[in-house]
Amino acid sequence: MRLIFKRFVAMCTVVIIATFLLSLLMRLLPGDPAAVLVPNAPDQVRDVIRQETGLSKGIFGYYWQWLSGMLTGDFGKYYLNGGYRTVASVLQRCLPPSLYLIMYSQIVALVIAIPLGLTSAYKEGSRFDRITSSVLFTTVSVPAFALGLILSLIFAVQLGWVDPIGYESPFGHPWQHFKLMILPVISLSVGLTSSYTRLLRTDVIATLKEDYVTMAASKGISNRRVLWKHVFRPSSTTLLTSAALNMGGLIGGTIIVETIFVIPGIGYEIAYSIGARQIIAMQTLIALVSFAYVFFNTAVDLLTNLTDPRTRERRG
Amino acid sequence: MSSLLKIDDMSVRFATPRGDLKAVNNVSIELLKGESLGVVGESGSGKTVLSRATMGLLPSTATRTGTITYQGQDITALPKDEVRELWGTGMAMIFQDPMTALNPVRRVGSQLTESLTVRLGMNKKDAKEKAIELLKRVRIPDPEAMLRKFPYQLSGGMRQRIMIAIAVSCEPELLFADEPTTALDVTVQAQVLDLITELRKESNMAMILVTHDLGVVAGHTDKIAVMYAGDVVEYAPTRELFSNMKMPYTEALLKSIPRLETPTGSRLPVIEGRLPDPTKNEPGCPFANRCPYVTDKCRAEKPPLTDGGNNHFYRCWFPLGGVK
Amino acid sequence: MADETQTMPETVTSAKKKKPVGFYIAGSWIVLILLAAVFGWALPAPQWDQSFYDSLGVSPFHHSHILGTTLDGYDMFAGLVNGARLSVFVSLSAVVVGGAIGSVIGISSAYFRGRIDILVTMAFNVMLSIPNLVLSLSLISVLAFSDENHPATTARRVGVLILSLTIVIIPILGRISRGATLQWSSREFVLASKSMGTSNFVIIRKHIIPNVAPAILAIGFLAIGSVIIVEGSLAVLGIGIPGGASWGSMLANGRGNIAYSPWEVYLPAGCIALTVISCNWFGDYVRTTLDKRESKI
Repeated sequence: MRLIFKRFVAMCTVVIIATFLLSLLMRLLPGDPAAVLVPNAPDQVRDVIRQETGLSKGIFGYYWQWLSGMLTGDFGKYYLNGGYRTVASVLQRCLPPSLYLIMYSQIVALVIAIPLGLTSAYKEGSRFDRITSSVLFTTVSVPAFALGLILSLIFAVQLGWVDPIGYESPFGHPWQHFKLMILPVISLSVGLTSSYTRLLRTDVIATLKEDYVTMAASKGISNRRVLWKHVFRPSSTTLLTSAALNMGGLIGGTIIVETIFVIPGIGYEIAYSIGARQIIAMQTLIALVSFAYVFFNTAVDLLTNLTDPRTRERRG
Repeated sequence: MSSLLKIDDMSVRFATPRGDLKAVNNVSIELLKGESLGVVGESGSGKTVLSRATMGLLPSTATRTGTITYQGQDITALPKDEVRELWGTGMAMIFQDPMTALNPVRRVGSQLTESLTVRLGMNKKDAKEKAIELLKRVRIPDPEAMLRKFPYQLSGGMRQRIMIAIAVSCEPELLFADEPTTALDVTVQAQVLDLITELRKESNMAMILVTHDLGVVAGHTDKIAVMYAGDVVEYAPTRELFSNMKMPYTEALLKSIPRLETPTGSRLPVIEGRLPDPTKNEPGCPFANRCPYVTDKCRAEKPPLTDGGNNHFYRCWFPLGGVK
Repeated sequence: MADETQTMPETVTSAKKKKPVGFYIAGSWIVLILLAAVFGWALPAPQWDQSFYDSLGVSPFHHSHILGTTLDGYDMFAGLVNGARLSVFVSLSAVVVGGAIGSVIGISSAYFRGRIDILVTMAFNVMLSIPNLVLSLSLISVLAFSDENHPATTARRVGVLILSLTIVIIPILGRISRGATLQWSSREFVLASKSMGTSNFVIIRKHIIPNVAPAILAIGFLAIGSVIIVEGSLAVLGIGIPGGASWGSMLANGRGNIAYSPWEVYLPAGCIALTVISCNWFGDYVRTTLDKRESKI
């Protein structure tokens, strides 16, 4: 319990400092922030916006107003051609596509990486292992945007198998949803798969040398059972930790993939708000992303601490 | 009694970047049903490799030659799957270090019942009952609570008892015990050995006990094979070996055992020198450099395994007590 | 088993072993890129920023444009060579400067521990809590701010890009050097040296840095790779270096023409991928040789 509390406090501190620095950064913008938000609006409108966002106050006042807004569900606004849209309503629309994209990519990566990593570790040094290792080494280095562009060129533009851009909800048009998701998911999951496989391979090779694995084999149970029940279980913690740690990188990756494939997700919105200089929306979105990232790290850290007997052993 | 295990001319080599490492050289050993054999030697003498090779638990870098006949069947000729069928139910092993040989992320219960459900096809309830009974047999208090524990919650002695329970769970004919007490406190070593011997007697299990401690095997084995640098250098019934020791090496091993009556502070006799490089093929007796009785002949020619009568074999040109 | 294997002879010294094939492949690519970056201007190629209106979008292996031209008539080969210069300049300066700052902070905070260390760790955690790309995106959007009347110059954009990438690199290499220093500063030889009254500065210079440097170097190579990727990503998002002056920028410009002249995407993407692979390979190589050395101690 004390551990949970300690980690929670540490997490909140990190998030608060990060978001405060973010606010500071926004205030460092040269020129009048209100003029940046609504370049062509008259002064009265700018005054209203200054009041609304807290830009009229000092940096602490501004941060406090933003933070209390965040905590009460007021995520700020996009200011568009005289009107506005709340960030909350945009989030409602852009969160699902990103979540699907991230979820599919993680699932695809894990589903491929687990058998691949286990097999190449089990057959360490074999031809299969050497080929997998070198292929994975190459693919882990290929940037997602290059892969995305080339995939879209081949499969969407030249072969015409899928549409190059767009997004459909899985409930309205499930088939179209999957067709549109295939290329973005591949672009994101190739790098992930490689890094997971490599990680799992290293870990499993180390685990295979453990006495308890020989012990399990000496019971006369099948190799498959030894591999899954005795080797994979201890190694899976490392894999899950890394999967959670990759969430941050994935959110970064979604920005680029969502832009290339024009998927209206959170990454796309971040890129849009930066391009349109909607600094309030930008601050909110980036803050949410870092919060999610820190939250995942903390949660996984806690979970492994609580569930893996080995870390308990180290502590006690 | 009939023959249970017959190792004939078995050698084990490991491929290393510096060439083949000869871990076991042309060893022949026979074990009857219910009999127990002690394999004794320093670390690096090949005794652990001998036991693992017999069972077939070697890494892929190792090659094994010779034949191993188990219950009249040559198991070196069997495919790996059929050998595995023998593991657990025919041959089982107790590992050296109970701290590392139990899976840290699985509960005691699941590790103990695994062989029962997978190998003997018991259902969960029966397996649990049997597990409790096994834990009682290895004298673990409150066995039901024990099933739910993780290895890290237990002491070394407790873990070793669990490992023994796992090894005997499928009632094997032959038990390999690889330094079963080395990692334990001196106070529990004797208990654990007595427990193994008692379990063995109850179900007429044969045993190969691997240890570096000649004192350990004395009370618990019927015969002893002393190994040095991959060779069996002395092989005799336990009583015969202690009353009529032939090998200078065995004598040196015996002297290196600490005794209660040794005055504290006095220097423990150790065997001076090191084992020969197992990747090189040097002429002469491998022990020559460390032997107090060495002669020119020992350095020039390797002695063969000689029959000294009374089932006593030795590998020395000038055995203690002279040639018969 | 364990005691048996320990007496096995040590493996032959790996220094004499032949270098793996990848060493030469990755090495020659990096040398090629560096040469192109430094001496590229001397090559008998057309101007990179000159449009050839008589040959728009010719495919590669054309007699006067070896790698073809873009749909706007820019020579691909000249563009790639020029892009190499900017990409190398941006990534090297970001990693070297960021690495230097990060290492100094990491090493000293780990060596002196105490309150400063807690503060530094916290600062690193804060910076690492924002994904790389998001961090550099927001930094650039703020620092390279421009309105329609005063567009930011390319030089300023490059400067801002380097600055923001440097800020991204600092916590990454800082954390690595902090971890490595923690591990080494508790070794006996450091304690022994301390007990002899050696000054902290000398200990860091003589004992810590030589041991920590390989780890920093390994991650440094990986960092170069990720900086190149981030540069490309930013260009694709439209806020990197404009005008096809870097690989990422060429790729971003070529995106629109993908159906007509796909080499506009393939070639810069290939250059980026090969460079990243080579850098990662060297990072991996340094790390594995380091591991081997470590395991022998």
